[in-house]
Amino acid sequence: MKRRELLLSAGAVAMAGSAVGRAEAADEIVIGAIYPMTGNAAPIGADAKVSLEMTAEIINGSHPPIPTLMGQGGGLPALGGAKIRIVIADHQNDPQKARAEAERLITQDKVPVLIGSYTSATAATISQVAERYEVPYLSMDNSSPSLSARGLKWFFRTSPHDEMFTVAMFEFFRDIGKKTGRPVKTVALIYEDSIFGTDSSNVQRSLAQKAGIKVVADIKYRGNSPSLSTEAQRLKAANADVLMPSSYTNDAILMLRAMNEIGYHPRAIMAQAAGFQEQDFITASGPLAEGVLSRSSFAVDAVKARPAIPAVNGAYRAKNGKDLNDNTARQVTGLQVLADAINRAGSAKPDAIRQALVAANVPGEQLIVPWKGVHFDATGQNVLATPVIQQITNGTYRTVYPFELASLDAMWNVGG
Amino acid sequence: MTLDIILQAAIGGLLMGLIYALVAAGLSLIFGLMDVVNFAHGELMMIAMYAAFVLWQVSGLDPLLLLPIVVVLMFGLGMGVYRGLIARALSVRFNRGMVQIFVTFGLAIFIRGAAQFCFGGEFRSITTGVVANRTAEIAGVFLPLPQVAASLVCLAAFAGLLLISRTEFGHALEATREDRDAVALIGIDRDRIFALGWGLGAAAVGIAGVMLATFYYVSPNVGANFAITAYVTVALGGFGSLGGALVAGLLIGEVEALTALVLEPSLKQVGMFVIYLAVVLFRPRGLFGTL
Repeated sequence: MKRRELLLSAGAVAMAGSAVGRAEAADEIVIGAIYPMTGNAAPIGADAKVSLEMTAEIINGSHPPIPTLMGQGGGLPALGGAKIRIVIADHQNDPQKARAEAERLITQDKVPVLIGSYTSATAATISQVAERYEVPYLSMDNSSPSLSARGLKWFFRTSPHDEMFTVAMFEFFRDIGKKTGRPVKTVALIYEDSIFGTDSSNVQRSLAQKAGIKVVADIKYRGNSPSLSTEAQRLKAANADVLMPSSYTNDAILMLRAMNEIGYHPRAIMAQAAGFQEQDFITASGPLAEGVLSRSSFAVDAVKARPAIPAVNGAYRAKNGKDLNDNTARQVTGLQVLADAINRAGSAKPDAIRQALVAANVPGEQLIVPWKGVHFDATGQNVLATPVIQQITNGTYRTVYPFELASLDAMWNVGG
Repeated sequence: MTLDIILQAAIGGLLMGLIYALVAAGLSLIFGLMDVVNFAHGELMMIAMYAAFVLWQVSGLDPLLLLPIVVVLMFGLGMGVYRGLIARALSVRFNRGMVQIFVTFGLAIFIRGAAQFCFGGEFRSITTGVVANRTAEIAGVFLPLPQVAASLVCLAAFAGLLLISRTEFGHALEATREDRDAVALIGIDRDRIFALGWGLGAAAVGIAGVMLATFYYVSPNVGANFAITAYVTVALGGFGSLGGALVAGLLIGEVEALTALVLEPSLKQVGMFVIYLAVVLFRPRGLFGTL
């Protein structure tokens, strides 16, 4: 019996200890972030961890004020200077694991809000769990349009989705065509076979039709393939004015090499970002990547319009040795918007956070991304997110469109 | 669809098929020798790719020159894996089959985790070398030089493996495969033969890995992209048959390339799995299998 009593009293002490711990933790808002920390998308998760923790430090720490949303430091003022803390969970780019991790964060770690998750296939399951437990899920970098088209009440997305991104691509085609007198007449679509690629291609197909541009190749390929040489062969045979790929990093590397191997150099490539925005892709592809165009929701060179970029980018660079990119800048922005919402809510209750997100109305000048601002519509989509078009020039992405934000004229070989 | 497109796709399939064949050869060798399916085979290939990448980065030498070093390292690693893990797994009394599966499966997960720990999850690439990113055009058909070099090396490796099978050691391998208990009676050290078999298997996949690294990205998960194909190749060619692995690898490379040409490319593995099912149903020992 003695042993049991001992165990019971030990348990009581442990519970008392955890109660104290929880009382102290009221000064801390824990946010559950679900990212791919292992598997093929692991580099994205590693970068996301750095960018989110860096943003939390800006929000929590004491430093000279940075002219951006929640850039004054010192935690959340309306919650007595409460600090935000990020807990990272690993979804391994597996929708089922993402579901399980979302449940664990909500039921065991008791997080009042979830963020994530890079790949759209995992966002689909996370958002379902969030809906069921009535916890807000702020998607920061998932781009499938279908995610916000399911009438979910607890889903929010700061980033533009692929329809908005693709609209920007076709506006660019139209405007560069007018400017140079060399319009786009044909495009070739190539996309990986998960929700990201298929959604992206659906939008591209319909927008091309509206713009009177012919789709001369429409190729769905298997992600993580050992070889893409036959796919490249089909693209070469189609020989479109613009090649429009939707691919993750490893496939992007392989695709450019496979095209080069058969002597095919597309006149223009317009990428649905993702892998094409990653440094690994640029390093691996070297000269092959020169001139690749990509949509982006961030322009590191738009310093004039967004004066906070040097300070925030500098803080990120100091930790990760590279500049913020399309993905990491959206994570910074998402966390800023979320911290602001929690602050305005004055509470760490899921419902209060949701209402504050619904009421969000952030002007573009307070962000580091070149958007018009942040305001969510009834589907949870930020309607003020306006993308840019960038081009790889001497190994880095430079903004070429909209023309008023451009730091460089686009290199345009179509019809030349 | 014109003839040169089909020809180009067929050449792509041929070049890739030789890589598949060599990856499968190592797997087949080990399975044929001791009935152990090595689930860490793709990860052994990944180690060879990282070894080539690291040596290239440190020395700046052409990856082709680094090939012998990596092969020796892989041979040693294969023997080490046998002596440290597999020999122990073989010595259990109960459920030996399960233990073997779990040991190599666990090894695969460990190697993958260790690679991510050491190198991060980034996609690395070897960007220089005599053949890097070069391609030759002959009468409108393009021959990517890294793949051509890889194919030649793979063929040479197959020739090497065939030569080895003609030596005394090769006969000992064959004898051990036939009857592992009887060979002990005529003075063959079974344990040593097994260890050397593992060394050879790892060296074979190591050669494939280094050659692959001259044109493919390197990452902790890269082995998985090739492992499934390797298992199908081994089953198709026949467990334990070197020539079978070669023929099956080429066949799968071609089927994959040509399926992607006529069907939607996302379905390109369909052809390969159809063949696999047909083999399992109608000729379970594979095309050239004796087991």
